[in-house]
Amino acid sequence: MPTLTYLQAISSALRDELRADERVLLMGEDIGVFGGAFKVTDGFVEEFGTDRVMDTPLAESGIIGTAVGAAVVGMRPVCEMQFSDFISCGFDQLVNVAGKMHYRQGLAVPITVRLPSGGGFSGGPFHSQNPEAWFMHSPGIKVVAPSTAEDAKGLLHAAIHDPNPVCYMEHKHLYRRVKGEVPSGVFETPFKARVAQPGSDLVVIAYGAMVPVALEAVSDGLDGASVEVLDLRSLVPLDEEAILDSVERCSKVVILDEANATCAAGAQVAALIAEKGFESLDGPVVRVATPDVPIPFSPPLEAAVLPGVDRVREACRELLAY
Amino acid sequence: MATHMAEPAADAAAEYLTAEDRIWLLRAMLLMRGLEERAMSLYRQGRVPGSFYDGYGQEAVSAGAAFAMGPEDRLCILHRDLAAHLIRGVTPSRILSQYMGRAAGITHGRDGNVHFGDRNLGCVGMVSMLPDMMLVATGMAMAFKLRGERRCAMTWFGDGSTSRGDFHEAMNWAGVQKLPVIFVLENNQYAYSTPVDKQYAVDPVERAAAYGFVGVTVDGNDVEAMFEAARAARERALSGDGPTLIEAVTMRMHGHAAHDDMKYVPKEQVEEWRKRDPIERQEALLRSLGVDIDELRASVKAQIDAAAEEALAGPMPDPATAVDGVFCEGEAEPLGDGQAPWSGFH
Amino acid sequence: MSSSPTDVLVDVTMPQMGVSVAEGTVVAWRVEPGDRIEAEATICDISTDKIDTEVPSPATGVVTEILVPIGETVDVGTVMARIAVGGDGGSPPQPLDGGTAGAPTTETKSSSSAPVAAARNGDRRYSPVVQRIAAEHGIDLGQVPGTGRGGRVRKQDVLAFVETDEPPLHIESPYRPEPVAPPPAPVADGGELSRMRRQIGEHMKRSLDTTATCTTWIEVDMSRVEAARGRLGVTALAFVARACIDAIREHPAVNAWLEGETYTRHTDVNLGIAVSLGEDGLIVPVVPRAHELSVEGLAARIRDIARRARARQLTPDDVHGGTFTITNPGQYGSIMATPIINLPQVAILDFEAVIKRAVVVTDADGNDSIAIRPMTILGLSWDHRALDGAVAAQFLATVKRQLESVA
Repeated sequence: MPTLTYLQAISSALRDELRADERVLLMGEDIGVFGGAFKVTDGFVEEFGTDRVMDTPLAESGIIGTAVGAAVVGMRPVCEMQFSDFISCGFDQLVNVAGKMHYRQGLAVPITVRLPSGGGFSGGPFHSQNPEAWFMHSPGIKVVAPSTAEDAKGLLHAAIHDPNPVCYMEHKHLYRRVKGEVPSGVFETPFKARVAQPGSDLVVIAYGAMVPVALEAVSDGLDGASVEVLDLRSLVPLDEEAILDSVERCSKVVILDEANATCAAGAQVAALIAEKGFESLDGPVVRVATPDVPIPFSPPLEAAVLPGVDRVREACRELLAY
Repeated sequence: MATHMAEPAADAAAEYLTAEDRIWLLRAMLLMRGLEERAMSLYRQGRVPGSFYDGYGQEAVSAGAAFAMGPEDRLCILHRDLAAHLIRGVTPSRILSQYMGRAAGITHGRDGNVHFGDRNLGCVGMVSMLPDMMLVATGMAMAFKLRGERRCAMTWFGDGSTSRGDFHEAMNWAGVQKLPVIFVLENNQYAYSTPVDKQYAVDPVERAAAYGFVGVTVDGNDVEAMFEAARAARERALSGDGPTLIEAVTMRMHGHAAHDDMKYVPKEQVEEWRKRDPIERQEALLRSLGVDIDELRASVKAQIDAAAEEALAGPMPDPATAVDGVFCEGEAEPLGDGQAPWSGFH
Repeated sequence: MSSSPTDVLVDVTMPQMGVSVAEGTVVAWRVEPGDRIEAEATICDISTDKIDTEVPSPATGVVTEILVPIGETVDVGTVMARIAVGGDGGSPPQPLDGGTAGAPTTETKSSSSAPVAAARNGDRRYSPVVQRIAAEHGIDLGQVPGTGRGGRVRKQDVLAFVETDEPPLHIESPYRPEPVAPPPAPVADGGELSRMRRQIGEHMKRSLDTTATCTTWIEVDMSRVEAARGRLGVTALAFVARACIDAIREHPAVNAWLEGETYTRHTDVNLGIAVSLGEDGLIVPVVPRAHELSVEGLAARIRDIARRARARQLTPDDVHGGTFTITNPGQYGSIMATPIINLPQVAILDFEAVIKRAVVVTDADGNDSIAIRPMTILGLSWDHRALDGAVAAQFLATVKRQLESVA
């Protein structure tokens, strides 16, 4: 099995989909001739042509809206927002046209929207966001967030095959830092959580770039404690069963969000646990998240707000001792 | 102000429209007006929840343009374009059920009034954010071109919506990619209470040139001129010559919605446009050709009466289904083909 | 009620009512041992040279002992009474500097929500999962030591308690000031005995009516058991069980049934262990073929049947076929009992509390000295129709020898 980086796994998924399904169409700014701002589609035009690897005008609303149109006449568009932050320009088309169409009209909209997300590289307030919570809150849209190379490929295949609009949160920080064995060919990862590391004294619930942070934070065993790490992988649908199972076994929970704390995905997980996992709890549900600030540009400021290994470790230690 | 003007209706129509076609056009307009009047009455009886919108006085804009669309073409229809739905094959009783929020409505109560599009007949239901659907139509046209298919997409939108970003993005995209899409701008002089001179500094039809394609201004109350403009635009699209912006000049004769008494519209303007009522004009034309208008009207009325009776007998939707259908659980099915009564397609 | 091992005891001392006052007399007590009292409420009245006054309680808790009776005069500073704080929701006195013990920390920069200390006032609250586990196993949480913040009982603590299910081996010697008697239980409603209670009663009555029950006792030094217990993480009961099994090999007469005139010796040892079901009564599930099990194995099986017994999950097979029974009610401090034989068996061993005592030890040179050893008294009730006192005594001596030579 080949070892690929997270980014290569995404490319591999797109390539395999373009080869296997003539309905698949990639749309985005600078993805064709230039190969993409992050080189995800490098070399694609040579194999698939400029029609299927489309350089669009600079128009996020246009990208999403035309993708909807193409989807309802039988294509499988995979849109790219160059940075997830720019989805705000296409918010209306995604939430009001794509998200609500099936409920209202029984008309499926099988689009995938790739959203390169996250900070940690001095991207500043407009290139570092994690906007998934906006779309968790919008009915009719699925949201997935891989943390490993294998899941990056498998979830993207599944997203493209899904007959609904799917937001695919690919984390920029993981592009080249995460490597792993990735099966070749087309395969699907289910929209469910996975236990990244089993444990019994406390569970850290995370997704995306926070999963490697969690694994590193608990890697030294935290004074002999047995800590589980649950990788959500799918935010809509949220894997309630896996979350509640981990809580029942571990009884102490730390939830991580790189997104701004208020109403982030972790807030929904915390509410779920408080309501349905109450009897299993041996301590308060703890959240570690970025505070409600735009992501700052200068490295020390950015490092101060994004949850790092030390903050996670400290939260785990404190809760374990409770 | 306009870049182009359409050919006078009579000459063009003779070439492409049979007598049946011309009756069809009138029938579609009569059905639209009759249904909307019946629905307004039901609204005043409290049987139509929410708000009620109609296209009184601008029936020709949707009837004429939709008549030129083929079975495989796709339509994004707006709230004053009921005739387009009727031409595609949506039955009147389902339309009244839709207004009343009944289970038999096209959206089964999920969305209201004219926010519907029968996906089996190639229509996409509109959203309230206008003109979002321009981009959807552009996308459909994009797919047709990519696949090399001889089909086009049509969308309607109003003078007010040309001020929003999606108008620009759609026009630009369609022009850059030279797509087979027909943009029908219903210039009915008012966006709610905002007259066009508060909406734009330059008539939007001028903008088509700025985006690299043809813009035509048409008498929106001349149903056969509307048909001709749409037919020509479709031909242009299918031969690979790109989009057309058709500005249909008309007048909104009722308020923005049933709750609007349009006091802000000068009475003279209303009177002026009443003389140009599209139905009266087509009736006059057909009478001169020996068609029995009264019989046609009676037939339409009977159709509407039957539709109302059927719709009123239907149940409301089951509350237990309120949370169903947010996601598609099976295969994504594309839009189906609609009816296309124009003789040119047979 | 007794104080739990983690209670803090607060002294109530004779106050100095004036610079020159050296002593005071207790005039009246407002409380009795076992009463709850709030901080600042009057706990007693005193009289001094200068003034008669009320003494406010220094803490909220439960009065554990009254040390100075009414009418007695004591020096200023003498401890007159003690209050237990923490076990039953009491609160320790606030530090004089108004400390913020247990205040939650919130970082302003990072917005992680630090766990709020539920033990802010020393309240002993139990989390949902701890309560659930305790209920499932019939555990009194007041008995469970807590290793969490502020002494709170963590899930691991209650699980560990379930595992061992036994308080510390040693109970303080009874030769110390009287522990407080529990408050009188509220008068229970009258009514019929439960079915289980009636069945137990009938069984016990039949045994006493049928057998010629005698009881023999022996003292055992449990120091080696205690050491091994800590090492293996295994209850003392498991060691006693293993010792009985070994002794049965040498004295098989005690592992038998007597039904009417029919006396049957068994080679298998199916060991019955009496399990208390609280107010509902008791039941004796059986560990079958116990002779095949090591100490650890016995400990595990005993744990399992006790858990299932309390959870009412025993099957009929679980309570039949016993050949010898052990009863072990030792955690309350009683030292001897006269257990009733579990028909149709001929003997039952009673294992009560292990108490630190002063004992005489003789060294290799024959010199005697006093040592402190954890001692227990094992009692064997036996049926004189089947056995004689000598056999009973020999059996007990063998058990003693086994326990005192545990490796």
